[in-house]
Amino acid sequence: MTRQLAPWLAGALLLAAVPALVESPFAIHVCILVLMWTALGAAWNLLGGFAGQVSFGHASLFGVGAYTTIILYLRAGVAPWWGMPAGGLAAALVSLPVGLLCFRLRGPYFSLATLAVSELVKLVALNWESVTNGPVGYLITALPPLRLFGHAVDWESKTPFYVVAAALALAALAATALLRRARLGAYLVAIREDEEAAEAVGIDTVRAKVLTLALSAFVAGTAGGFYAFYFRYVDPDAVLGLSLSMEMVFIAVVGGLGTVGGPLVGAVFLTTVGEAVRERFPSGHLVFYGLFMMLVIRFLPEGIWGRARRLATGLQERALRHGAA
Amino acid sequence: MALLEVEGLTRHFGGLRAVADLSFALREGEILGLIGPNGAGKTTVFHLVTGFLRPSAGEIRLAGRSLVGLRPHAVARRGIARTFQIVKPFPGLTVKENVALAAFLRHRARRDAEAAAAEVLERLELSHRSGTLASQLNLMDQKRLEMAKALATRPRVLLLDEPMGGLNPAEVDVASGMVERIREGGVAVILVEHVMKAIMRISDRVLVVNQGQKIAEGPPAAVVQEPAVLAAYFGKRVA
Ligand SMILES: Nc1ncnc2c1ncn2[C@@H]1O[C@H](COP(=O)(O)OP(=O)(O)OP(=O)(O)O)[C@@H](O)[C@H]1O
Ligand SMILES: [Mg+2]
Repeated sequence: MTRQLAPWLAGALLLAAVPALVESPFAIHVCILVLMWTALGAAWNLLGGFAGQVSFGHASLFGVGAYTTIILYLRAGVAPWWGMPAGGLAAALVSLPVGLLCFRLRGPYFSLATLAVSELVKLVALNWESVTNGPVGYLITALPPLRLFGHAVDWESKTPFYVVAAALALAALAATALLRRARLGAYLVAIREDEEAAEAVGIDTVRAKVLTLALSAFVAGTAGGFYAFYFRYVDPDAVLGLSLSMEMVFIAVVGGLGTVGGPLVGAVFLTTVGEAVRERFPSGHLVFYGLFMMLVIRFLPEGIWGRARRLATGLQERALRHGAA
Repeated sequence: MALLEVEGLTRHFGGLRAVADLSFALREGEILGLIGPNGAGKTTVFHLVTGFLRPSAGEIRLAGRSLVGLRPHAVARRGIARTFQIVKPFPGLTVKENVALAAFLRHRARRDAEAAAAEVLERLELSHRSGTLASQLNLMDQKRLEMAKALATRPRVLLLDEPMGGLNPAEVDVASGMVERIREGGVAVILVEHVMKAIMRISDRVLVVNQGQKIAEGPPAAVVQEPAVLAAYFGKRVA
């Protein structure tokens, strides 16, 4: 038990130390992005990595969360830190009918259906002006005051957002680790391996997939809420674009499908290498993501994290053998 | 009342009647052989009973309760397990993980499911392969694993689709013994098999189908003498 908890404690301590060690607001900003992407990659990985259900539409779940958070704040005065989980819930609710519809389809047909649904969501956001403000979207000019431990939180500093993003990423990774050990996690692996064989041994495959999608949607929607909170700006292109969906796939694949730590590695990769490419080729970055993913799938199918883990276990075993000899 | 009752079961594929107005019953503790030439509709019957296909018409009851319209996982929960003619393991998982997944149907906790899986593997003499990836088993062990998964769901009725196809005579004997022991454990079995030696040896009754229809039913020794069976079965296979 302690051996399992140790890496988590170390990770949490390291995360907690960052704001004290890092001065530059830009560096903290990069850390915040990495953590947000970690949560999003983990959300996608729950469904795509464990259950093998490749979604190209996760941006819509992120977007629903972002819109929910910002609309609740600007129209009803609900503070964004309450709006974030509300955004997660909204995304989970939206995901239920979508899942029941799309999970009737298998393999590439499922993926295409998620793509269609997310384009539909974007169209709704563009055209349902009374609720979404159409293409203009929403802008937060001032965040509500908040006092914690007797101090007023400074919304101009990046530190409070860093703390929220770190909590979000840790929660998403912990949810992944828990799912992996739970019966549902085992069911998802069965579904990924052979869906008919899974049904034959009594696994309700539709229910398992719908539940997992809802969990995945909750994480993605909460991350969307965080986006609205941090960037204070939401419009259809920013939170519902296809590239967002692709970036989530990219993170999970590069980091390692169905692994716990993979999304963190993938997120670091995306925010560094991915960003650099994006700056140089503003319109071509999706092509780069596609090519790079193909290379990873061909030469490193277990992802960076998966490969590193296997190497580490191999070394450990060799060390043990040498120690015993 | 029979354990499993099938009445007027029919399934069309476009213009083809793969199963046509088929009725039969399976009694508690019985081994029923289901035979017929290639394409006779045997596998389709299994798909219909287990909810992988919907009947075009007809009724299927387990212990008096209808199964028609249930999805496969619900049929498994009611107590009918099946194997697939072309085996369907979870290839990337070990033998033990494969069977434990099936045992989850009756056990909530992972530890209980794993204990139940170990027990089934012991019974099917597959324990020594527990840690092997399912994709790396030889044919005999693949067939065993297929049976182990089905048994781990603790069925009342077990549908075996050619569990001996491709095995050598010695392996067929082992597999036959295994099926008999499963029956002794209180599970009723429907055995689809082309290996006549096994059918003759272990079936209590045999049901012969051709082009989706029942052409004979009765004790194995009597059934294989019937002219209709000889014509349909051997006529087609030898010609
Ligand atoms: N999904 C399907 N769509 C169309 N036709 C099908 C389908 N499944 C089976 N058939 C046809 O139904 C008939 C019965 O097939 P089935 O697989 O049940 O035969 P079988 O008795 O199991 O044969 P075998 O001994 O070769 O396994 C065949 O003519 C087959 O081609
Ligand atoms: Mg068949």
